[in-house]
Amino acid sequence: MDFKEVGHLLIRTKTGKIGVIFFLSLITISIYVGFSYPGNFGRDVWGNPEYWADNPKSVPPSWSNLISSESLVEHTVLVTSKPNELKESEFERIETFRLPVNLFEKDFPSFLSLSFSDIEFSKTPPIISVFLRRPDGSSPLLFRHIPLGPRDDEVNPVLRYNISPMRVVLNNDPNVIINLTKLHNQLNGLELSSRDIGSDGIYATFGNIDKDHSKGFALLDGPYEFIIEVLHKDKLGTLGPIKLVVGGSVYGVMGTDSLGRDLGVGLLFGFPVALIIGILASTLTTGIGTFLGILSGYQGGWVDTCIQRLSDVVANIPVLPILIFLVFMFGSNLFLIILILVAFSWPGLAILIRSMVLQIRTGQIIEASQVLGASNRWIMLRHIFPQTAPFVFAQMIFFTPAAILAEAGLSFLGLGDPSIPTWGQILEQGFRTGAVYQGYWWWILPPGLLIMVTALTFALLALALEPVINPKLRDSQ
Amino acid sequence: MMNSYKLGRVLIFRALSLISVLCSVLLLLVITLGASGYSDKILTSNVDEELRGLRGGLAQTIRDPNELEKVLTSRRHELHVLYGLNDPWYQRIPDTLIDVVTLDLGQAHTLRSYEGSSNISDIVLERLPRTLLLVTTAFFLTALLGLWIGINIATKAGSSTDRLVATFSAISFALPTWWVGIILILFLSIKFHIFPSGGMYSIPPPEAGLERFLDLLSHSILPVFTLVLVSVGPYIYSVRTMTLNIAQEDFISVAKAKGLPNSLIMRRHILRAAAPPIVTSLTLSLIGSLGGSILVETVFNWQGMGRLYFDAVTGKPDEGIIIALTFIFTLLYVAARFFLEVIYLILDPRVRYSS
Repeated sequence: MDFKEVGHLLIRTKTGKIGVIFFLSLITISIYVGFSYPGNFGRDVWGNPEYWADNPKSVPPSWSNLISSESLVEHTVLVTSKPNELKESEFERIETFRLPVNLFEKDFPSFLSLSFSDIEFSKTPPIISVFLRRPDGSSPLLFRHIPLGPRDDEVNPVLRYNISPMRVVLNNDPNVIINLTKLHNQLNGLELSSRDIGSDGIYATFGNIDKDHSKGFALLDGPYEFIIEVLHKDKLGTLGPIKLVVGGSVYGVMGTDSLGRDLGVGLLFGFPVALIIGILASTLTTGIGTFLGILSGYQGGWVDTCIQRLSDVVANIPVLPILIFLVFMFGSNLFLIILILVAFSWPGLAILIRSMVLQIRTGQIIEASQVLGASNRWIMLRHIFPQTAPFVFAQMIFFTPAAILAEAGLSFLGLGDPSIPTWGQILEQGFRTGAVYQGYWWWILPPGLLIMVTALTFALLALALEPVINPKLRDSQ
Repeated sequence: MMNSYKLGRVLIFRALSLISVLCSVLLLLVITLGASGYSDKILTSNVDEELRGLRGGLAQTIRDPNELEKVLTSRRHELHVLYGLNDPWYQRIPDTLIDVVTLDLGQAHTLRSYEGSSNISDIVLERLPRTLLLVTTAFFLTALLGLWIGINIATKAGSSTDRLVATFSAISFALPTWWVGIILILFLSIKFHIFPSGGMYSIPPPEAGLERFLDLLSHSILPVFTLVLVSVGPYIYSVRTMTLNIAQEDFISVAKAKGLPNSLIMRRHILRAAAPPIVTSLTLSLIGSLGGSILVETVFNWQGMGRLYFDAVTGKPDEGIIIALTFIFTLLYVAARFFLEVIYLILDPRVRYSS
């Protein structure tokens, strides 16, 4: 059996065809991720909560609207850097930004946040005022902010919020809640305190007081407009982009986790990682197993005895407990995990290859080479290895899913490499934070499915290549 | 007489091989502990523990605090010599080895046994029967189901059922055990409330015998099912392949030519010959069940040794428990392997009769 037949098996059989198609898709996605993701994705993006601050937490994907009876609010992000109006006088300059939000849904948004960045001035900081025009015609002031003035040692121009933006969560801000209390007292002629409004201002922002409603407010739907007035005392003062986020109760294609991370982004990153784990571990394992197997079978004598006794011992060590112990002791590093997996996985192949080599070495080619004075190394490399190669290749594919599943299991126990997010880790975080018991299916189903599909891809390829491993199956087909 | 002598020799040889497995794991544990400085940490905390007890006693008799400190310091020095803390770690390997084997690993930081003991051996040994219950049940179910389905499928090789089972085997091979468990909880417990979502007993646990047993049964259905589901697929497939391999041998054709009934050929000729390799391949599903139990117990909050691993890794890690668990799991595995070896020897006449 040579590689031509191996290719034939992969392309002609149905399992082989499906396996090859899956494998090519995995590779394509991995290459895309490899080129489009930043180098330090795990630490700087995925592990950085600030990056995800403006996302709704633990919400299902957008398309779940189609299968759910509730009407869910879309997540909206509005960014503006050009003022809609500009008023200039001799001493001051007023920039007005207008951000329209249309609320025609049946439910309140989950949160509301506003971010300012890159404020620049020379002597006097600008005054920022945020108003909200509501569908009922009222337009209360929500809050007012003046950045810190120049310190004595600061030189012109003074920069504020240039390293990280100033982010105000409007529905949690006490000033906003006090201002909204005033509004609702005016509208209804009541004398409520801000305590009565509650700690979440989202209902007061987008609602009217309604005693019958469970939240105390009924949603007021219609067009809203956030009006941001920036009063520059300095002629040259400037302001970076303003970002308004209306938190939805659904997000993106895959939903978010409890930190607001876009699960789709994390799941995509898992593709190349899973492939690297699987392929690296299986290549190293088959490499070591084949080398020791050939050496053991061809050399014989004490080399053979040593390798076979060693294989016998290592093959019988239960991998998962040892893996947990060693990773726990030496720290979670993906390459360490792969190395440990390899260190305990080669013996099976070494034993199989040895028995093949025992047969091969009685062949006439080997005898002829020996007579011609070929070195042992030459014979093993040029005459023995090529005869085992298709078998080795099939075994390599067969071992790949085991490595992927082992890493996923380890990650699930909380021992995954924290700098490299994997599907197993996403599942672990879901399990640890109780996503299972909350019924957050979008967090639990996809990572496991992807692990399964990836492992299945290699299992199908291995199934198609079974005649390579088991010659008896060749006759029957 | 000769036969049993031969059998005994083979058994001893296999036992030696498995004992060397246990020894290498132990050595790996001990060397890692020593080289990483962890064995120092265990001993130092033992010394501190003793000194704390001593201080309380001495404080009654020695009033002068300076004098008390002096006595304690000299006592600490003596203890360090006694435990060998002044020697490099590799000289203490035999002692550490004995500590691991006897589970004399000191106190757990946060985990406690159900009677409140913080002794690592108490905590770990208390969990052992629970894991055994889960693993052996799943293992025997897997073995029975695998044999039954595998043999039946082998007689229908090439049929659509055969292909269906082959696909199921591939999927079962690719399924992460613990994820299957999570999915079962998500749908059968949280959505439809058919089974409890975890634990071993309801809260509060029923008192009476039968009621308590039924409660345990309903809590164990999902974890056992999960373990069986993921390890039975590959086993069915290997039983099928091995049965088919034998079915293609010449002596089966002879038996058919003689006109023997199919059931007899299956029982007397095929299964008799296929039994030893079928037992060997059970080893694989044993590895699956034992490793899988760590994850499945975690998912279903089954208070066995596997869940203990998860709890010991979480939060403030309990190193001693992890060491003890790694040792016990290896011990369990080696013992089960030896059991399978014995069955193999009983089934394989070649081992007994060949000279």
